Amino acid sequence: MKTTTTSLIGTRMTRIGRILIYLFLSVLSVSSAFPSKNFPADTITDYYEVETIQMPKGLTAETDGLAVMPDGRIVAGFHRGEIMMYNPKTKTWKLFAEGIHDPLGIMAVNNSEILVMQRPELTRIKDTNGDGVADEYLTVTDDFGLSGNYHEFAFGPVKDKQGNLFIALNCASNGAGIFPEVRGKLDTLGRPGRMYSAVPYRGWIMKLTPDGKLHPYASGFRSPNSIGFDANGNLFASDNQGDWLGTSKLYHVQEGKHYGHPASLLWKEGFPHLTPIKLPVKMLDSLRTVESVAFPHSRIADSPTQPVLDNTGGKFGPFVGKMLVGEMNHPYLVRLMLETVDGHIQGACAPFLVGSGLRKGNNRLAFAADGSLWIGQTDHGWAGDRGIQHVRWKGKVPLELADMKLTPTGFALTFTQPLDAVTAKQVANFQFKRYYYEYHEAYGSKQFDVQPVAVSNAELSADGKTVTLKLSELKAGYIYELELGKLRSTTQQNLLNHLVCYTLNRLQRNTQANP
Amino acid sequence: MRKYAVVVLFVALCGLKIPVALAQDTTLTIRAIEGLKYDVPRFVVRPGTRVHLTLDNYDDMAHNLVVTLPNSRLRVVNTSLALGDQAVKLNYVPRTPDVVAHTATVDPGKSEKISFVLSQEGIYSYVCTYPGHGFVMYGVIYVTRRPATVPPLDKDPNVAANRKDDMAGHAGHMPDHPYELKYPAVYRTFMPDSGPASIAVGLTPKQAYCWDAGACRLRYAWTGGFIDQSDHWDGNGKKPTHVVGDVYFRDQGGFPIRFGTADRLPEVHFKGYKLINRYPEFRYTVNGIEVREMIKPLPTGRGLVRHFSLGAVSGPIYFACKPGDGVKYRPSVGKIQDGMVRLPVGTRNFTITMTAE
Repeated sequence: MKTTTTSLIGTRMTRIGRILIYLFLSVLSVSSAFPSKNFPADTITDYYEVETIQMPKGLTAETDGLAVMPDGRIVAGFHRGEIMMYNPKTKTWKLFAEGIHDPLGIMAVNNSEILVMQRPELTRIKDTNGDGVADEYLTVTDDFGLSGNYHEFAFGPVKDKQGNLFIALNCASNGAGIFPEVRGKLDTLGRPGRMYSAVPYRGWIMKLTPDGKLHPYASGFRSPNSIGFDANGNLFASDNQGDWLGTSKLYHVQEGKHYGHPASLLWKEGFPHLTPIKLPVKMLDSLRTVESVAFPHSRIADSPTQPVLDNTGGKFGPFVGKMLVGEMNHPYLVRLMLETVDGHIQGACAPFLVGSGLRKGNNRLAFAADGSLWIGQTDHGWAGDRGIQHVRWKGKVPLELADMKLTPTGFALTFTQPLDAVTAKQVANFQFKRYYYEYHEAYGSKQFDVQPVAVSNAELSADGKTVTLKLSELKAGYIYELELGKLRSTTQQNLLNHLVCYTLNRLQRNTQANP
Repeated sequence: MRKYAVVVLFVALCGLKIPVALAQDTTLTIRAIEGLKYDVPRFVVRPGTRVHLTLDNYDDMAHNLVVTLPNSRLRVVNTSLALGDQAVKLNYVPRTPDVVAHTATVDPGKSEKISFVLSQEGIYSYVCTYPGHGFVMYGVIYVTRRPATVPPLDKDPNVAANRKDDMAGHAGHMPDHPYELKYPAVYRTFMPDSGPASIAVGLTPKQAYCWDAGACRLRYAWTGGFIDQSDHWDGNGKKPTHVVGDVYFRDQGGFPIRFGTADRLPEVHFKGYKLINRYPEFRYTVNGIEVREMIKPLPTGRGLVRHFSLGAVSGPIYFACKPGDGVKYRPSVGKIQDGMVRLPVGTRNFTITMTAE
């Protein structure tokens, strides 16, 4: 009965959410019904369309995992253990497998076989007799601990070019205890803390080599939902604001490194046998590799999810080669603009598809061969929505920030369209502030040392697409939050998104501190 | 990962030498649920069993759990109503010889564990003596050497009336899935009294078992229903899945297959399962030897038929059939001696039939 109430509320919330979006859109169109005479009222819906997929009747559509099959069907796994196939041509659903314990990750192997990351294991699920229904559920790896705590989710898998698979293991939460019996070695030194790791290798990203062995790869994760590769084969993991995470983050994951949530250090080879959170914060701080991107809480993301590469060759619009990240608590995705500075990846994030009709709870993202994006949504007792939406680019290029790069004296902003020179050169259209989040045990962090940063000069490139900004000060270790003004293009388009945040971990080598 | 199994074997081996009464322990959780109910309507133990019982309060009001001697439930309930201003201090539990064991008052969302031994055969009760609850909120404990004499649940005069209604059917329930569940049904979920990587298998809507994929063994079996996952599916999934029905078998002997010597616990690895006519055939390795296990219901009555196929093994094979876990064992080959079947050398296929006692 509880479930009934929850899903009714869920439906109602969705309806209210939709009404709000419609209201918001109608306000937008009213305000833009009176544009200055040269500018048509363009909004995100002129460039992207969002289709809401009809889900099977009786399904509680908490979408855990989602992938695209080679034949174009969509495979989705749901909280109650169903794995179902959706045929976009016939718009019909078919059951493929049942009884999976939170299938939070799915990877298509071929049209009759998938890999599924469920709580207890990575499983190869296969239809061996060609009837379209799975009959074989073989364990690929279960060589990690399981305490019975509800927060021990498992994410992935993703595959690198060498054929290794990567999975990510959530820490447990002190919202509940552990089972009297656990799988794996129980170490009570791992129990203290808000998010804890009492069995191996909670809080780790693991590498499964083709010989079937699972290796601890990198530590320091809290709730790494989820992982993905960029165009150059770099592995990224998002992680959620909470204890030891002042705000949500995206890490560039490299072998042997530690990313800051201390609980997992208990299982690091050669690490002293003690409760890691009891070590001095300064020492813990020195052990960690910082994030590539910090997502300022509530400004950009409260609960980022899967990073996915736009490898569509331009079929999804102008952001090809860059990554998108899902977001649970806002009705949008997050777009990334990364670069390598002084040998380390860092960069910017910005909201994407705001006002498009996209719902919240954007948990899983997968590009289809036609360049459209499938998005699985869930709430799982937290904020979010349920179901699946399908986003298509309509073929016209919106005016958006396409790239943000650090320069020795500021930032170079490249847009998708040539900008109107008058507005692009007005420094008032580039309002910067900078701040940082503290590394500490308490949940989240306020913004520290918030300061406006003046722009002293804005130069427009010959092609009109790049504005080079000179800032009065550039300091490593800060997030630079930029609010863009009413920029417009020579193609008579309005800038759609005005907010971007750059995580400045490192200055370019040879950068002089600005006077 | 094998630590638990080692402990269990140690206990099992020691258990052969110590009095049976001390060797018998059972652990269970009873939830207080909405509508003045305990989720477990009744359970069955042998005389001398030490019961470790956790009362987990899922309701939005306070409850307790008081274990009473045969034929004394109403007396205890009425005495508790006369406690006056001592009631809160005493947790609404009268100090009378009728009370075998009790919890304190357990607030919503809290739980409390008690342990007690019921040595004499008889029909005991557990009841909530919180004012107004005791006349409807209770369950029954059968302490008997002959569990087969316990009446079917729906005909049991000792079970609370509001629990019998529930067993009759769940009209108006939201569907669990976008399809009608077919049996046999397999769920990987968090099962009580098992490892966290467990598999619940409903053979029929009324016959089921729990198989632990971490320890690669059958943990317990029950009849009367399958599982209720609504709590586990709700919200963040903090609460485990619940067994619906009566558990008649609970494994006591640890991992059953031994190679070479009867007392050496092997190393096991779970490899998955294949569905054959929807029945899962489990695959695992035992000291590197591949084992397949398929479990089917007894054609009639309560019990299971377990088919095993093994890879080639040199030397003897043993299968542990520990008495006192609720079933009678019958192997297809070999004889049971001291709680072990010694299978003939070269055995590749065998069947263990388990019939509820």
